[in-house]
Amino acid sequence: MIVFGLLRESISFAINSLVGNKLRTFLSLLGITIGIFAIIIVFTVVDSLEQNLRKSVQSLGDDVVFVQKWPWTFGPNYPWWKYMNRPVPDYPELNQILEKCDGAQSAAFLASARITVKYKSSSIENVNINCASHQYDLVKNFEIADGRYFTEIESASGRPVAVIGDVLAKALFPNQNPIGESVKVNGAKVTVIGVFKKEGESILGGSVDTEVLVPINYARSLVDIRSEDLDPQILVRAKPGITNDDLIDELTGLMRSIRKLHPRSDDNFALNQTSLISTQFDSLFGVVGIVGWVIGGFSILVGGFGIANIMFVSVKERTNIIGIQKSLGAKNYFILSQFLFEAVFLSLIGGVIGLLIVFLLTLAIGDSIGMDVSLSRSNIILGFTISILIGVVSGFVPAYGASQLDPVEAIRSN
Amino acid sequence: MQSALKRPRLISIICILGFIWIVFSFPSVFSPSIKKMGDWYPALFGLIVASSFISYIGVWHMKRWGVQLFIITFFMKETLLILLEDLSYVGIAFSLFFLISMLFFYRRMDLNL
Repeated sequence: MIVFGLLRESISFAINSLVGNKLRTFLSLLGITIGIFAIIIVFTVVDSLEQNLRKSVQSLGDDVVFVQKWPWTFGPNYPWWKYMNRPVPDYPELNQILEKCDGAQSAAFLASARITVKYKSSSIENVNINCASHQYDLVKNFEIADGRYFTEIESASGRPVAVIGDVLAKALFPNQNPIGESVKVNGAKVTVIGVFKKEGESILGGSVDTEVLVPINYARSLVDIRSEDLDPQILVRAKPGITNDDLIDELTGLMRSIRKLHPRSDDNFALNQTSLISTQFDSLFGVVGIVGWVIGGFSILVGGFGIANIMFVSVKERTNIIGIQKSLGAKNYFILSQFLFEAVFLSLIGGVIGLLIVFLLTLAIGDSIGMDVSLSRSNIILGFTISILIGVVSGFVPAYGASQLDPVEAIRSN
Repeated sequence: MQSALKRPRLISIICILGFIWIVFSFPSVFSPSIKKMGDWYPALFGLIVASSFISYIGVWHMKRWGVQLFIITFFMKETLLILLEDLSYVGIAFSLFFLISMLFFYRRMDLNL
């Protein structure tokens, strides 16, 4: 109990000292505030971007292989002229993949274009239209909030039906249910049979919220699905237990046989997977994290020096008080804890202010860019840890020096 | 500041090396690699770094509590490294050398704070 009483007393001494020198306290904790702010804001942004990226990649499907003309990533000596003459994936190739690929659970053909959608007097330009074959719902991860997906007959016969995004539905049908209504897609009437569940902004773009999905066999009457501008591709999802690498190996052999490629000739197709995007972004985030770490580290170092300096000044200023306290029976650990608490408090207040600024900024950034940016628990713990650590490390030497003062000499000092 | 006990040269060298280790370890408390290990690892690692720093200051001033704190920190650090499966035999060898050297001069050290 005595120890607790002494600790409480030393804390109150520390607080009184900080309150007594407001301007000095403010200037000293500013360094820590900037340091904590710099580190935590970078970590928060990087963490949020990573989280959003993973969500986006997951919605694309992390067990899906994309058969396309162009690869997603290029090496340093990338022979782009060789890729120029490659053919784009064709719809008949999908049927052969579905027929012959043992590792594929489902596969779909997809082509995308930009069109204008109209409903009565409302018109939205530059809307992304996805023209997909029937198994698209088994390959792509999405949910339908209202209505339904195409039936096999609708897909096969190419009926003019569409599933539209949530944002699009709200824009075209503000006060009515879009199911069963007809919209005009590039002038042709299409019946809305479903609305996608709201997904939110995607870091990779292409959120279903602003998309129109129509059967590929209907899309033939609207657009040229063989056109390279539509980026035709075949999406293949692996069976459970089959890795993407196994599927890629099988698809490589299959695509080569479908396209009748000579054994010595290079592949004229690219097999892409979402991990390629994640890997690219991981290295980018890694670099951003390290840059933030270095900048924040230096800011914190400067802040720590500031606190150490102010603590030395504080000890010097109160030397005779320390002498009086010791001559009245104050123990060394009491003096030590008094100054150590002062340093830790100073640093902790700076850290808390830094964290508060980050929190307020995340609210502002999140609202303005429409992306989920949040201050995570791990970053809050990190902010507190660094603050306390800086307080202890920069305050211990001056505090220990104060605790070791000779009472007689301390009282004599001015 | 009172410094009644003369510090052996070996202890001075150990403490300087220790302070250098602290300087290099300090930034790793908030490094992305430590952060990725888990929410509480930076806090744990920070505690170890702070304790090591204080223990070296104690040893520098020839205080027994410095050695005692060094022993506690040593076990804390090695336990954490075992949990992380990142045990370094060179690191253990250095720490043990430091510890044995400190224990060699332990009787000459001050009992008080």
